[in-house]
Formats: sequence, C-alpha cells, structure tokens
Amino acid sequence: MRAADVVIVGAGVLGAAAAWQLSRAGHRVVIFDRGAPGREGSGTTAGNLHVQAVHTRRPGQEVPIDSARFLPLQRAASDRWESVEDDLGASVELRRSGGFTIAETPDQCQELKEKHTWEAAAGIPTEVLDGDAAREALPLLGPTVTAATWCASDGYANPLKVTPAYLAAAAGHGAELVPYAPVREIARRGGTWRVTAGTHTVAAPVVIDVAGPWLGEIAALAGIRLRMTPVAIQMHATVRAPVTMSHLVQHIGEGLSVKQVTAGNLLIGGGWPARALNLAGRSVTSVDSLLGNVALAVRVLPFIRDLRLLRAWAGPLAATPDEMPLIGEVPGEPGFLVAGGTYAFTFAPLWGETLRGLAEGAPPPVEIADLGPDRLMTQTKTHEGRQR
Amino acid sequence: MIVERDVVVVGGGPAGLTAAARLAAAGLTVTILDEQPELGGQYYRRPAPEVARRWGDHRREGGELIAGVRAAGVECRTGHLVWGLADDDRTLLAEDEAGRPVRLRGRHLVLATGAYERSFPFPGWQLPGVTTPGFAQHLAAGDHTPIGERVVLAGSGPFLLPVACSLLALGVKVAGIAEAGTPYRPGRRALGTLRHPARLRELAGYAARLARARVPVWQGAVVLRADGHDRVSSVTLAAAGRPGQAIRTVEADALCVGYGFRPQTDLARLLGCEVTADPGTGDAIPVTDPAGRSSRPDVYVIGEAAGIGGAPTARARGLAAAHDILARETGHPVPPAEARRVATAARRLGHFTALTDALYPSPAQLLDALVPALADSTMACRCESVTAGELRADAAGDVNAAKARTRAGMGPCQGRVCGFAVAGLVRGGAVFPSRVPIRPVRMTTLLELAAEDGPA
Amino acid sequence: MTAPRSATIIVDGRPVTAVAGVSLTAALVGDHRWALRRNPVDGGPRGPFCGMGVCFECEVTVDGVPSVRACLTRIRPGMRVDTTGAPNDR
Repeated sequence: MRAADVVIVGAGVLGAAAAWQLSRAGHRVVIFDRGAPGREGSGTTAGNLHVQAVHTRRPGQEVPIDSARFLPLQRAASDRWESVEDDLGASVELRRSGGFTIAETPDQCQELKEKHTWEAAAGIPTEVLDGDAAREALPLLGPTVTAATWCASDGYANPLKVTPAYLAAAAGHGAELVPYAPVREIARRGGTWRVTAGTHTVAAPVVIDVAGPWLGEIAALAGIRLRMTPVAIQMHATVRAPVTMSHLVQHIGEGLSVKQVTAGNLLIGGGWPARALNLAGRSVTSVDSLLGNVALAVRVLPFIRDLRLLRAWAGPLAATPDEMPLIGEVPGEPGFLVAGGTYAFTFAPLWGETLRGLAEGAPPPVEIADLGPDRLMTQTKTHEGRQR
Repeated sequence: MIVERDVVVVGGGPAGLTAAARLAAAGLTVTILDEQPELGGQYYRRPAPEVARRWGDHRREGGELIAGVRAAGVECRTGHLVWGLADDDRTLLAEDEAGRPVRLRGRHLVLATGAYERSFPFPGWQLPGVTTPGFAQHLAAGDHTPIGERVVLAGSGPFLLPVACSLLALGVKVAGIAEAGTPYRPGRRALGTLRHPARLRELAGYAARLARARVPVWQGAVVLRADGHDRVSSVTLAAAGRPGQAIRTVEADALCVGYGFRPQTDLARLLGCEVTADPGTGDAIPVTDPAGRSSRPDVYVIGEAAGIGGAPTARARGLAAAHDILARETGHPVPPAEARRVATAARRLGHFTALTDALYPSPAQLLDALVPALADSTMACRCESVTAGELRADAAGDVNAAKARTRAGMGPCQGRVCGFAVAGLVRGGAVFPSRVPIRPVRMTTLLELAAEDGPA
Repeated sequence: MTAPRSATIIVDGRPVTAVAGVSLTAALVGDHRWALRRNPVDGGPRGPFCGMGVCFECEVTVDGVPSVRACLTRIRPGMRVDTTGAPNDR
C-alpha cells in the first residue's frame, strides 16, 4: 500500500482537470481509470463551450435544467477556459468564435428574449437578432430561423485533446495515472480512505469520484447511495467539408448543436438518445435519433444537405435526476468528493479548481452549496461496507 | 421502400450467388444486394460486355452462376450500399444507385460481404500508380486495361501470381514479383498441396507462365519505398530479414502491393454476431457453425467474410448455408448424400487453404518483420495523413485510443486500409469498431428515409 | 472478330475515349490520368488504390454529383467527369 494526498477515480475531463489543479499545487495525486483515459463521456462529447444560456432539452429529457442557475457557473467557466491552453502548454483547438442559439417558432422567440435578460443580469453579453439579421450574420442559416441570440464567447475545444493535455500537464507535476485499473474497493478508516484498483492500493485523506456514468457505482463501493440517472446520447460527423462555419449553432427548443471542427468535419449533436446505455461496452447508436438529428440540422443549416454522413457514435452522459451539476463533499464522509452531471465539459476548468479548493478546505470559487450530493442521497450510509 | 423476403443475401460474389440460387430454386423469395454495378463480387467480377465480346470472359463460370441466379427468380439489386441497421435490430438500411433509401427485411439474413486486400504502408505508397494487386487484376480482366507499362508486384500470397499472368496476357512488362515469404521452394509443406491436384495445377500453371516470360520472383523481398513525382517511377526493395536496407531499385510506372485478404465483417458485427480472432490470421471473424450460422440464429455469414478460403470454399459455404435454411424452412433435411458431398468438399478445401497459408508468412509474422522497419515519417493513414511516428508515440493502448489521439481511421475509408498497420503500430491489436454508417452515406438519402413512414 | 465499340466521355473538359462500358477508373488510367483528387490534409495527389470501393481514393465528380467512386462507375457516352474539385471529401 502506498500513500497519496488525493486519489481520483475516473480519468475523464473532470478527473484530469482536478489532477492538474491538485498536482500543480504540490499534492501527490493518483488517478485510476477502468479503461483508457478520456474514452467515455469525455471522449465522445461534442466539445462545446456553452457560455450563453443552455436552454435546450435533450429529446427524451424529462426535467428542464434551471438555465438561470447555470449562468454564473458558465460565466466562471468561460473565464477559465480563456487560459487553458497557456496553462497546459498545449493546443486543445480552443476556439472562441461565438455561437448562435436559434428559434423557429413564436414561443421559441419569446424564450430567446427571456434568456437574454437572464444573461444580461449574469453579465454575459448576448445580442438578440431577428431572422434576417441572423442570416446576415451567418448566411448559412436556413429560412425557418426567425430569431437568434448571438454570444461572442461560445466556443469549442477538441475533447480528444483536452483530457490528454490536462493529464500530460498533471503528469509533469508528478500525478500518477493508472489506466485499465477498475476500482474494486473503497474503505475508510478514520481520516484515511483506502482505494484498491487492480493490484494497487492507495491510502489518501481525499477521494474524488469523477467516474462519469459509474459515479454512483464508485460511491456505492464506499457505502454511499447516490441517485444518478446516466444516459447514452449520440453524435454525428460528416465528411470533411471546406471550412465555412466558424460558429457554434444551437437550437433553443429542440435538440441541436452544430459546428465545424478544425479538420473540416461538421459535428451534429443535441443530446439525441442512443439505443440504450451500455456500461459494459460501447452504447449502440439509434438510427431513429440519427435521422431526427440530421433532418433538424439540415433544416436549420441547409448546406449540410450536400454532405455525407461519415460517422456516428454514442457515449454516456452522467446525468442527474434534476439535470443540475453535481459537485461537493458527501455529508458525513469527510474527504469523499464527487463531481459530475451534464455540461461537465464546459465546466471542467471550473470544477477542477473547485475540487482542489474542496480538497484543501478552501472556499470554492463559485457558489455550489445547492449542487452538492446531499440532494441525490437516497439513504445515509449504512456501514454495510463494500457493495461487491 | 421496404423489401420483405424470406432471405436477404448481402454480397453478390461466389458465396452469396451460390446461396441465393439454391434458395430461390427451392421456392423461397430471395433478394441479393451488392455495392458493385454488376453481380459477381471480386472473384467473378464481370468484364464489360464489350470486353467480353472482343476478348472473352476470363471466368465464364461466374457468368453462368449469375445467369442461374436470375433464372431462379432472385431479385438482384446491384449498386446498393448497405450502410446500417435500423433500431429494430433486423431491418437493413441501404441506398440504391440513385441515392434513394431502401429498407430490407429477411427472415434469414445471409452475409456474404467478402474481403478486401490487406495493405501495409511504406514511404511513397500514397503516390498515384501504387495500388493493390486486385485493382490491377480488375483493370486487366474486366476492362482489358493495363495498369502500367512496367509493373512491379509485391506483398505476399498466391494471389500475386494470377495477377502477374493477367498483366502478361495484356502484353505488360512485369518487372518482377517481390514475395515477402519464401514459399516457392520444394519442401514437405508444399508437397502437401499435391493432394489437391486441381488447385495445385492452377498454381503450377501460373508459375510456368511466369517462368516462360522470365518474370523474376524475388523471394524474401519487401518494398522499402516507392519514388516518383505525381506518379510512381521507381521501386526500391529490401530483404525481408533486413527490411531497412535497400537491395535493388527497379523502374516501374505501377506498383501493386498486397498481403492477402481481410474478411469484411462490419455488417456481421453491426448485427451483433459474435466474433473471434482467426487462428491463422488474427483477423476478427464471426463465430459460425459448419453451415455458416452465426451466434444470431437469423444471420448466416459465409464466404470470405467468414474467414479467407478462396472462391471454391466460398461456394461450398454458400451451399451449406442454403441447405441449412431450407432444412429449417421445410422441416426436412437436405438429402444426406448432397449434404455429405458439400461437407466433404468444404473440408478438403479447408485443408488446402491451410496448407497454402502455411507456405506464406502469417499476418503476425509480417507485422513482426515490417513494423520495426517502418520509418516514423511514413504515412500510415492515407485518408487523414497520419504518420507511423504519430501512431507509435505513446502507443500503449488499442486502435481506438490511437484513433482518438491521431485521427487515424477517421477518414472516408473508416480505417479499412490502415487498420492492419495501425493495430501493428500501437501493438494493441483489435479492430476498429463497426458503426453506422458502415460507409459514408449521403445526407439526401437519410433525409428521404427520415421522411418515410414507419420505423427506420 | 470486330473491334470493340468505344465510348467517349468528357474529363475536365477534354474528350477521353475508351472501350464502351468499362469502369471509369479504367477509362482514366487508360488515358494516363492517375491523379484524381487531392488529399484534404496534405494536398498531395491521389489516385485509385483498391479498385473495389473500399479506399475512397478514386472519388471524382460525375455529371455534377460529387464524391462518386470511379471504380464503382461504368462509363456512359457523354459522361462528364471532373477531377479538379476542391480538396475535400464532401
């Protein structure tokens, strides 16, 4: 058995960001992942940086997110993304070229205006455009678009580069990554957590559970019951096309986000559900979702009609029942920290810093009291020990 | 459009044609699909009618088989690309020649999706004029068009010999054949093939033809690099044992390199058929019983897609699958004598394949020889222009991790051309996963499908 | 034996004649046209490689339709083929 200051379970974007923050501050960090790092939700996400209010519901999503509550978090995350490439000394294809959230119906137009007032109150500058003004700003938009908000800070980073860049920078500060090591035991003795993964056992005062769709299972190893509702969603990519669209385009009322990545492929997402969440392997994409998502994309951005679909893939989303982020220390379990929930990619730099603060006992950079795990705990710890 | 049949056969090569003809002759409704503009697959690829009229049909039995399929009443859909599987897990999604969506359901699905050539990179392999041997063969036999004036063949396996002969028949100068192994030496293993006189005669015939034309066969030689400006102009070879050191440079305006064939299993994997590593090649092949039945009771995988065995084996597998389906449909087994004949033939052919394979280096041996010598600057993924060095760096992991890190396999060929080399370079094995769409599909096809009624 | 019928297609504005009904790759290779597209990443010339629809290296524009695999296409008289398209996959 070895000693560390922090054991992180899950080498996704949150685990990687936390590892970098903590190791840079001089803490000894060990990161376990059940497979390859950054491979699940963090490797299959669209990579959008959402700064203007996210108002979309995933097809099938039952509870809307509290968009207004998100805004101060988005603003804080946006500020932190600004320095990510300098901090890590690596390109992550960060692009802050702005984004449109479009509306097609009168109700949606009304929602856009409402959203705009929240954004103004949160200090996020956005601009409301009518359909023609939106098409003037982005001539690729189709005729059904009747209004749009423009936010200059929306952007994109390549998820396949972000997590590896954080991990590499963390390794530079001495963090140790152990991939292909599923955690099988977590036990607390006094103020020390013992985490066993494969042949490794590490003792540390702090455990950070950022295991994405497995967050609940990992917590359960420590006897903590958290009600998580992970789902699988899917993404679609076209073949490379000449680069003509630098902005992120989202829909306020339907599941749609479209952008063109640096390589030229158009990425089409919007949280459409895959056939089923498969945590033992890769979730299988749904053709119904594929057809719905690309038809919507072509309606809003008709030029996509002339392209070919090259790839579709599914990945897990560590959703919470109330669709709000999850971050904080588990009550009654000192040193056991959790972070997850939707839009984790956008929030990664912020949650990395927040987790460091929680581990050090310092105040968090943003208000998170209402985002803690207590609201998801179905019962208090029973001390029944390990679940498997 | 929804096509409902007793049996849907995907792939119009020797295996699929044989199965379709037998099933339709017994009265079942059968549709056969192929991506190519004509039935025949790669082995029985039909010459253009004008080519056949003027120069003859190099594989007349293919034309006869196709005529038999049509006469038996099989619905033939060429130019159809099967790109996906609907959410009901059984409806195949295709696009026809005009880009219209077609949905197909069969109570039995017979996958005869064939194989594609096994490639391995070398510096200059992306130059125009560097191709697979199969391309040279199709141009020669089907289109009566020489791939070049002075051609070098390289790689490994028996297929290089008939390709060289096809080129000779067109008057092409075959500058030489570089074979990575040393199969053409008398030995006990070679003698084993004597028990299969017909197949052996075929190989011996090719060898005699090449000897008469004084085509050099450089055994134990691999391509070190190809040079040229906008097209290949010279080929430099190295000894397979010391693949970094040049032994010979040959002028050529075409270079055809291939290391045998890999089963095309995407559709089987998409359908959830269990796969295993082929003991001989390491390639992923569907688990099948002797009749070709996969782990899914409604799905048969036959022909090269079930493991490389050659056209006669493919035909035997097609017949065995047809018999199994007929027995299930009618409740009466196929007459034992006929079934026994098929089983015996398949066993003999399998034995011959194993003996022939043993003459040539296995894919694993090829990787052992070729990967260490591959220069870091060599382009490994042609679509995304990813080098061997990029793939090697931090190579721990598998092909999927390498793909995420480098984009290798993310281009239009979806990793089919680079897959063998990528697996070797990252030392991780495994194949790229099969995903919808199996091949790039037009958005207009998807939109039209989305507008149709019923489940996709 | 008579000479085979031929067909003429238009490639990048110039006539190319080949045996009727052969594959488009055969007509192009027979006319010594090997560079059919440019790779979108490195800009280098690419020509037909696999000849069976797997590699997507022989994609050209045929009668205005982009991204047609020449190896899967048979020539028709008067067919218009463009190999000068933008370096992208479409």
